[in-house]
Amino acid sequence: MKNLQDLRKEEMEIKSLKGRFRVILYPLLVLCLIGSFKIVQLTVLQQDSFEAESDKNRIVEIPIYPARGLFKLEDGTVIAENIVTQELLIKRSLLGISKLQIDLLKEKVFEETRKINLPNKNGNPEEFILLAGRLTEKEIARYELQKDSLPNVVIRAKLRRYLPHGNLFSHVIGHLGPVDKEDRVIFSDRQYSYDAYVGKVGLERAYEQELKGVSGKRVVEVDVFGNQVREIERISPKRPSDITVTLNLKLQQLAKEELNGRRGAVVALDPNTGKVKALVSSPDYNPNSLNQSELANSLSKEDLEDAPFFNRAISGSYPPASTLKPFIGLLGLEAEVIQEDTIIEDKGFFQLKEDGRKYRGWKEDGHGKVNLKKAIVESSDVYFYQLSSQLTIDRISDFLSMFGFGEITGIDLVTESKSILPNRNWKLGTMGETWFVGDTINIGIGQGYITSTPLQLAVSISALANKGKTYKPVLAVRNNFNPENYFEVFLREVQHWDVIEESMISVIESWNGTAHNLYSEDSISIAGKTGTAQIKSLMDQELTVSEEYEDVRQNIRDRDHALFASYGPIPEPNLVVVVIVENGESGSAVAAPIAKKLIEEYQNEKKNEQTNPS
Amino acid sequence: MSKRTPLDYSINKPLSTDYNPFRYVVKDIPLFISLILILSFGLLMLYSSSGQSLAMVSRQFIYILGGLAIMTFVSHLKPESYKNILMHSYWLGFLMLIYVLINPAEGYSTSRWIDLGFFSFQPSEILRLILPLSLVAYLCRKESKIKFSDWFLTTFAALLVSYLIFEQPDLGTSLIVFTSGMIPIFLAGLPLRIIASYLLIIALISPYVWSNLLEYQKQRILTYFDSNVDPLGDGWNIAQSQTAIGSGGFFGKGYLQGTQSQLNFIPESHSDFIFSVIGEELGLLGIAFLFVVYSFILWRVFKIGLMAQSTFERLACCSLGFIFLLFILINVSMVVGIIPVVGVPLPLISQGGTSIVVHLLAFGVILSSKRPQL
Repeated sequence: MKNLQDLRKEEMEIKSLKGRFRVILYPLLVLCLIGSFKIVQLTVLQQDSFEAESDKNRIVEIPIYPARGLFKLEDGTVIAENIVTQELLIKRSLLGISKLQIDLLKEKVFEETRKINLPNKNGNPEEFILLAGRLTEKEIARYELQKDSLPNVVIRAKLRRYLPHGNLFSHVIGHLGPVDKEDRVIFSDRQYSYDAYVGKVGLERAYEQELKGVSGKRVVEVDVFGNQVREIERISPKRPSDITVTLNLKLQQLAKEELNGRRGAVVALDPNTGKVKALVSSPDYNPNSLNQSELANSLSKEDLEDAPFFNRAISGSYPPASTLKPFIGLLGLEAEVIQEDTIIEDKGFFQLKEDGRKYRGWKEDGHGKVNLKKAIVESSDVYFYQLSSQLTIDRISDFLSMFGFGEITGIDLVTESKSILPNRNWKLGTMGETWFVGDTINIGIGQGYITSTPLQLAVSISALANKGKTYKPVLAVRNNFNPENYFEVFLREVQHWDVIEESMISVIESWNGTAHNLYSEDSISIAGKTGTAQIKSLMDQELTVSEEYEDVRQNIRDRDHALFASYGPIPEPNLVVVVIVENGESGSAVAAPIAKKLIEEYQNEKKNEQTNPS
Repeated sequence: MSKRTPLDYSINKPLSTDYNPFRYVVKDIPLFISLILILSFGLLMLYSSSGQSLAMVSRQFIYILGGLAIMTFVSHLKPESYKNILMHSYWLGFLMLIYVLINPAEGYSTSRWIDLGFFSFQPSEILRLILPLSLVAYLCRKESKIKFSDWFLTTFAALLVSYLIFEQPDLGTSLIVFTSGMIPIFLAGLPLRIIASYLLIIALISPYVWSNLLEYQKQRILTYFDSNVDPLGDGWNIAQSQTAIGSGGFFGKGYLQGTQSQLNFIPESHSDFIFSVIGEELGLLGIAFLFVVYSFILWRVFKIGLMAQSTFERLACCSLGFIFLLFILINVSMVVGIIPVVGVPLPLISQGGTSIVVHLLAFGVILSSKRPQL
């Protein structure tokens, strides 16, 4: 039994304990309140933002890309498709520490037959970068054997662009390449993965948007390690439509064959629709090697000197040379500077009254008495010197611009050049000099400052073939294709068209025509004009033209370009062909036969089409 | 007070004569039921947060059964009979701390663990509850008034083990252990003069201590001030757990439906961060339920403590009650991002055998202090 003192002591103790108890309890209760407030704040006041945060954590959208649209010819031939290739990749962050594995890869998998270009180390470290594309079956087998020693190298199947005809359509279809910053800006409304390939040139570039299609997506739930737990939603990608290319396989093959690797270009188009039937620039390249769908030897230095990636047919600016003469003659008639039967004495040179300077024709002794027809048929330079000196540059420039010179044609390719249609302002602006009559005289024979692309020339020629009407040249067409009007030239006198056409037919059919070598009695009738474009001007007044040119010939690259611009068959032309062979020297011997073969081949094609309308 | 029997009648016997065996075994039915409630709730949440691992839940269940057995056993002992054992258990804890410093378990970056092969545990986790009990036992070892030197001795004892834990290194736990040691000393009546001198010493040496903290410990403290500074470091844990609780809203996403927890975005979701799983899946409602049960337990503990017969019992119960409250407060504050990340489990809920057994042992001490007529 406790005594009273003990009870008193206990009471004191309990009192002290209760006091101290409160000293601890109350601050802790305040902390509890703070914690509760924080919890209420999180769950009630900020719930929405945290809910969004939580969804962002777990929900990932993975785009699904559709296969790239195909290119087909009008007869259904596929000229660009997608194939599955096996590729070896490595994560960029592992590149630095994987030298031994890459050496092993070279030695054991590729047996030193392949060079591995080590890719750039800079960039997103998580990206997988390509070590080797388009593996052969043997390489895949060897890789499988070595797999355990190559933990950083992974194999992956990928769809790559493949052109079954190899080089044939390189300058039309173009190639793909890794998407870069600029591409992302241009095609900003399309999603591209980091390793996406995008059209770089040609139709692949021009129709990138259509070919890419609209990507779909998979919405998946992932855990903290990025493992996919389940699929929440799937939106299928929109398959892009295929694109029909107007080219004719036979003509394209023929043109490539005929150019035979020489530097040059062939453009053939249907003047009644604007459809391009052949577009060849030579030399060409294999787009498949750039598309990573085919192994190819890298181009040598000599190959590159010939600029195989340069599309001469649309970007190459050449002096039109004598192929311009029909246009100048037409202007002469229209401007009433000459009549059809106006005669000019061609003594082999033309002398300017102002400064007495002599302009020599290509034929030493001249063509004698020349009217317009003879001037075109024999390609008299002196006739056109005289004519252009009377026409003035202003009229020539205005007239030629009506035929599309100095303007892009607007074909559906991306690297088209405007070339140059000079006038007084142009010269003052670019050269800082005033215009001389001598400049006009050079332009009269398609030399001097004037240049034109083969495609441009083909469109201008189609105006002659169609008596003024032209259609915009196209390579890719939709199902309901309607030719798009381009420009139309209206003459004061409609029969002037016939005068020019007759002259151009005579270029081949007349015994003295510059392209009479094309003539055979049973073949179809063609209108054409040869051209020989000087690269190096002949300045020495003492030597004759041919003597001086012997010197120039020494360097192959200084030799004249051979040109031929033509259309046929007369009277209902369905093909305009322009051929340029760089340093080919003779328009009639080198360029003209190619054009004739194309026109003839096209007629055979047409005939076949009519007999087998499948 | 109304239930208290008159003094002149039989002092230690309840008035009611009906004998209830259940009440006899568990000693306090309301406390026992609320403990069972919270332990079951913990098992359910553990099942969800462990990625629905039955193995982990069964293991925890076995610990709970063991812990309840120990609790019941201790609750039937007289405090006087185990007071001395508690007092000397300080040395057991001290030796274990020395052991982990000399002989750290393999596979851990810090020397905190003792690995017994079938079972590994942190001595510091045991010390959190053993230290205050042994200090109370020491202070109350005699009937007489506490000697002046005892205050310093007990403070030193608390400081010593805290330092050993700090050396592991584990700053957070070290502070917690020290606090749990100081609570009973304060409650026992630590004179104000000594408190004032302690505060002075702390103010003088704290700059020196700060400069001796390890870089990651400083980092941890700094992370608290701006959890956006280091989204993939310590701050990431806090951000993810806040996201979980916040996205749970008022009603929660539903049991087993928490995306943050089921997809492993919450780190340590089955142990220290289990509170965020509760918040995400059961919402504010679930949290409120948890807090109500916790509050009830605490109310019961303090009631038992303040009504207990001996100084030892009163101090032990009140200290354990405060430490229990402190652990809840620290764990919840950490998980919601009020304080930096420290390794404190949510009492009776978080996965971990040591924590469960030691807590139930403490409840055994509390129950044994209960006056039968209460």
